Amino acid sequence: MLEVSGLSVAYGKHRALDDVTLSVAQREIVVILGANSSGKTSLLKAIAGVVPKSGARVSLNGRDLEKMRANDIVEAGLALVPEGRGIFGELTVRENLLLGAYAKRARAKEKENLERAISLFPKLAQRMGQAANTMSGGEQQMVAIGRALMSAPDILLLDEPSLGLAPVVCGELFASLGKIRDAGIGVLLVEQNAKRSLQIADRGYLIETGRITGEGSAAQLREDPAVQRAYLGVA
Amino acid sequence: MFTEPLLSGITLGGIYALIAMGLTLQYGVARIMNLSYGESLVAAAFAALWLFTSVSVNPLIGLFVIVPLAGIINWLIYRILLVPLVKRAPSRDALEVDSILATFGLLFVAQGVMLAIFGGNYFSYDFLSIPVKIFGATISASRLLALGFAVVIGLALYLGLTRTRAGTAIRAVAVDPVSAQLVAIDVRATAAFAYALGGALVAAGGVLVSMFLTFNANLGVVFTMKALIVVIMGGVGNLLGCLVAGLILGLTETFVATYVDPGLTLAATYIIFILVLLLRPQGLFGTRRS
Ligand SMILES: Nc1ncnc2c1ncn2[C@@H]1O[C@H](COP(=O)(O)OP(=O)(O)OP(=O)(O)O)[C@@H](O)[C@H]1O
Ligand SMILES: [Mg+2]
Repeated sequence: MLEVSGLSVAYGKHRALDDVTLSVAQREIVVILGANSSGKTSLLKAIAGVVPKSGARVSLNGRDLEKMRANDIVEAGLALVPEGRGIFGELTVRENLLLGAYAKRARAKEKENLERAISLFPKLAQRMGQAANTMSGGEQQMVAIGRALMSAPDILLLDEPSLGLAPVVCGELFASLGKIRDAGIGVLLVEQNAKRSLQIADRGYLIETGRITGEGSAAQLREDPAVQRAYLGVA
Repeated sequence: MFTEPLLSGITLGGIYALIAMGLTLQYGVARIMNLSYGESLVAAAFAALWLFTSVSVNPLIGLFVIVPLAGIINWLIYRILLVPLVKRAPSRDALEVDSILATFGLLFVAQGVMLAIFGGNYFSYDFLSIPVKIFGATISASRLLALGFAVVIGLALYLGLTRTRAGTAIRAVAVDPVSAQLVAIDVRATAAFAYALGGALVAAGGVLVSMFLTFNANLGVVFTMKALIVVIMGGVGNLLGCLVAGLILGLTETFVATYVDPGLTLAATYIIFILVLLLRPQGLFGTRRS
């Protein structure tokens, strides 16, 4: 269970996030919907410890994360697949995946988790020796998610994983997120593809200019006229 | 006749490659452009000289004392002197500029201390300078041994960086330090380790060089420059590039000194360097960076 309350992020004088409160339980997919520069990336980065935050309480299964450095947060059980994937382009697919298991918490189960990642993304099996930056966009996204799973996270954060992917690939990707949830992992997903993400999500939050402006079950959000207007292209 | 400069050139080149690998580690992983790099080499050479002449410890055993010590000293330099720069730098590029200034200062301090102790005279010592014959050429045993050690150390480094978890983590930081923290790598500790490892490598180079070259307290800058040329020529961050470019440099210097004019070695070095920069600005093995 990830619990965040009172989280704010500022870049100099510019306040990108203001007093955000949210939670993600194990075995659920929570989606965050928001327009461009509403602060979605800042939110995930702040939780993962990549950008400094203020005033926040962030706890994972009762452990406080807010004072930890990013690498220790991964050790605590939270993994981020960043915007733009953040894979190590010059390293091979295998090296990328095994680096995912660099966290001490994941080393003992490295083999098992590698098998799990490959069964989730069978395409990777034949590409293990290839430099990651020579893969297609969809395959790179698989490497990025596979790498995050290798750290055996309790909570997985994903920043617009569908960006730039063809619809078919996108569908496969969302299907794999469902499997990840069914494995017991809590997924916090940032997306602009509201339609697809509300189909697989259990709950969701709406974010506008750095503030949470709404929340509800995926079904409620799908029916919400404001959501339909803003994200689902319904007039 | 021809094999003699070839062997000497390979020895020199192998050591240049080793030195360059250390520099590329410090720069590639820790993003410190270390202008005082060559001073570590000269200090190690003096340490080997002192061990040999004062306590009659041979330099090959000296390696096992000097190299770890150099690693520790460089680690402390990073932790005490450079971490404050790392912390305040808004970006990796800013850190690079800051580190140039800071290590420029360090260069003068280190050089000054060595000048105060040893003066400006050239030093050398007589270790295994017995001639050995191979392939019809005569070469001193110390040179051959130096080459052998350079090969072993270089190979160990290569295997360590490519075949181990810790080595892969070091390369990951060089490729993308932001993503590295997302796989639980402690980037600051890894950078400190890479900086120390680079210092250990150049110290190894210094001990090996001291076995067959004369050196003085002012020579650090020359080695820093040569290491830089090799790194840029080979492609920043590329170990294979270091090896090839190091050999090119060592062979060129030796052949020009033997067949043309010893005074022209530096000129020849620069000509090759400029040619590479003109034809392949990213270096022989470098990839274009976005
Ligand atoms: N490093 C930074 N320095 C200064 N301002 C930043 C920085 N990162 C983000 N911002 C600003 O903070 C705001 C929120 O940015 P953020 O990237 O979190 O939005 P986002 O919702 O992820 O947008 P997108 O949908 O385009 O990815 C924006 O106004 C952005 O310009
Ligand atoms: Mg974003």
